[in-house]
Amino acid sequence: MSETLRFVSGDLQLMALSFMAIVYIFRIRWLLRFKASGERQAPSGGMGTSSFKGIVYSWANIAMPWSMESTRHMSFFYLQFVVFHLAVAANIGMSFVIPYAPGLMKPMIVVRLLQILFAAACAIGCYRMYRRLSNPAIRLISTPDDFFSLALLTVWSFASIFAAPNRPDLGEGPLMVYFIMTAFFLVYVPFSKISHYLYYPFTRFYFGRTMGHRGVYPVKRVTQPKPTNI
Amino acid sequence: MAQNARSHKASKVVERMGKKLNRQMVGSLVGCVHCGMCAESCHYVLANPDDPTYAPAYKADQIRKIFKRNFDWTGKIFPWWVHAQDVRTDEDLEKLKDIVFGKCTNCRRCSLNCPMGVDFATINRMARGLLVSVGVMPEGVAVVSKDQWEVGNQMGVLPQDYLETIEWLSDELENEFKDTAARIPIDKMDADVVYAINPREVKYDPRTISDAARIFYLAGENWTMPSEGWDMTNFGLFSGDDELGGAVVQRVYEKVIELRGKRLVLSECGHGYRSTRCEGPNWSGTGVPPFVIESSVLTMLRYIKEGRIRVDKEKNRAAVTFHDSCNNARSCGFYEEPRELLNLLVTDFREMYPNRAENFCCTGGGGAMSMSEYTPQRLKSAIIKADQLKATGVKVVVTSCHNCVDGLTDVIRHYKLGMKVTQLVNLTANALVIPEKVVVPVEALISVVTLPLQGFKILVVDDEPDILTFLAAVLEDQGATVIQAADGEQALALTIQEKPDLVTLDLSMPGKNGGYVFEEIRNNPEIASTKVCIITGKPELRRLIYERPVAPPEGYLDKPVNEETLLTNIRMILELKRPHGHA
Repeated sequence: MSETLRFVSGDLQLMALSFMAIVYIFRIRWLLRFKASGERQAPSGGMGTSSFKGIVYSWANIAMPWSMESTRHMSFFYLQFVVFHLAVAANIGMSFVIPYAPGLMKPMIVVRLLQILFAAACAIGCYRMYRRLSNPAIRLISTPDDFFSLALLTVWSFASIFAAPNRPDLGEGPLMVYFIMTAFFLVYVPFSKISHYLYYPFTRFYFGRTMGHRGVYPVKRVTQPKPTNI
Repeated sequence: MAQNARSHKASKVVERMGKKLNRQMVGSLVGCVHCGMCAESCHYVLANPDDPTYAPAYKADQIRKIFKRNFDWTGKIFPWWVHAQDVRTDEDLEKLKDIVFGKCTNCRRCSLNCPMGVDFATINRMARGLLVSVGVMPEGVAVVSKDQWEVGNQMGVLPQDYLETIEWLSDELENEFKDTAARIPIDKMDADVVYAINPREVKYDPRTISDAARIFYLAGENWTMPSEGWDMTNFGLFSGDDELGGAVVQRVYEKVIELRGKRLVLSECGHGYRSTRCEGPNWSGTGVPPFVIESSVLTMLRYIKEGRIRVDKEKNRAAVTFHDSCNNARSCGFYEEPRELLNLLVTDFREMYPNRAENFCCTGGGGAMSMSEYTPQRLKSAIIKADQLKATGVKVVVTSCHNCVDGLTDVIRHYKLGMKVTQLVNLTANALVIPEKVVVPVEALISVVTLPLQGFKILVVDDEPDILTFLAAVLEDQGATVIQAADGEQALALTIQEKPDLVTLDLSMPGKNGGYVFEEIRNNPEIASTKVCIITGKPELRRLIYERPVAPPEGYLDKPVNEETLLTNIRMILELKRPHGHA
């Protein structure tokens, strides 16, 4: 492994990661500067609801596609979401595994599974880009950051397909591209919509607390019976 | 520099936004990923698939861009990159007004369907409040808010009118049960139940008050209605004005405390329940008040369970469905109790789908019924609700919200669904099994309710032929002699010539408008004492009447008006304390 690749996969990543962490700390401090409003009224709703249950339900909402009409009705979209986010998580994980625990990626099955995941994420990214451009409602709300963030993750997933085998001996190009892109990703994330995962615990916590206190969460759903005359 | 380029109102909006932001709102403002999953949950979007400006994320972005430009450093440094944009002119505020008031009913359905937990309804309400604080709001919102601030209730019901209505209903109750104890107590100290209502009940639907009174009476409840602080509705919820919200709710709480009431029971009103029960302690900053607050649905259910009243569901045999009010179900988790009660009251209850917290808005929520300028888009979006209602296959919709009664009635009329809307209190009263000792002499009542308007001459004035025909037919069926006028000139001439007992007057007419005609009537000593009932489709014109330097009209009704509401009000105006003959 060349010194350049060693630097790119090690020190550069740590620098980018530290930068991201610092910006995130500022970001969270900024968010916490705003006062959180509470629920002063007595709890309402049924016996099975509470603030605590609401918070847990709210946090787990995204893992329960049946809990929201939007994810129930758009199951293919939800599946894309799952695959895409798993790929991003795996991608970040890989940036640690390659320099610090390369042995974990030795088995070919692991490499192939990762490559399939990254390829799927890349395809989903392309489809999401098409959707963002072709659907008038989505196009209207899309900012340059939305397009760039999606493009970045799509290209990053594509680059990861070639980096996953971790074979610098066959050429350092794919790994170099992958690690430089990862570093850029880490630096860019705090300024982009990709940092939504930073806010997710907050938005979901407060929404869940309110809805739990008021007896709305967990949502009670009564499914429509199938017509018996057909 | 940027601040100087803003109009005064725009500056105030931005300044106030900084004060209103809390952590929940900021989370919702920065957390949106523009995935578009909210779109399918909004009835406006579903009814207008070709108009992307109805998407909740787009609507939220109109507020978000101001936030980003002024409070979020990504938007301050790279505004074009994240679509951050400042609000500059009064025209910008007007555009924002049409979005936050005209394209959203704050039903919170999108909030519940957002994977990120972005609570758009809360952001939208904040934006409404910001605009209201600088006087940018639909005329109807201004009128209703003013009434609630100044008169103490959102329909401008004067104390005398309220007390007279209660008195009249008390007389009816006493007559019905032939019991001098069967009256509606006012300001009774140490009552177990203090009953607060929606002013719509006084004005358009007093039957719900008398139905509740019958239930309290038969349950042997130690109850009262307050002489002040009786309006449990709260336009602050719709206008986003927390100060109004706090003041209104404080008025109600203070009266209950003054009366040393143990329980505040709220009549069936979704936004009233949410405002008084759920948001009130937040707005007023007082915390949980020292008495129980509950919906009358819960009270009625308890009476039945405790055996204090008996009901016979065979009396309600029509198939019914239930519409969950957004404020009850999606903001207060109040959806099982109405069903439990309904199942005790009717023989055939059929669910509407989706239901409970996932139900669609009646489309009249968020104060939409008072914003006549947005009526066409509201009714267009109501196709979703109309389809949902139609799919149930029933002819009676039950709801636990006065606003939904009006919203659904409008939808049903517009889409010609041939359905009827009723409330649980009406069904409960109808199903009551009246004990022997208070059996009503039915025959005696039947004999006196025939032709209650016999001998009265009524002039109906409206430029719409359909409405003229409707009003005339309803009043003639009740025995009145009806004269018709299609414009202001004719109305004045006929008032002088025929000297009617009552004039029902439309406001918006070609030529001499209703406001002018009304003032002319009041200023002409020969006809000044003629009773007048305004019937208009434009509630924002109310000030045209009430700001005139003459005695106010005896009645005021908003269109659409149904037969029952019309007759109830006409009888009240003509002071028919009992439904027969002259008072």
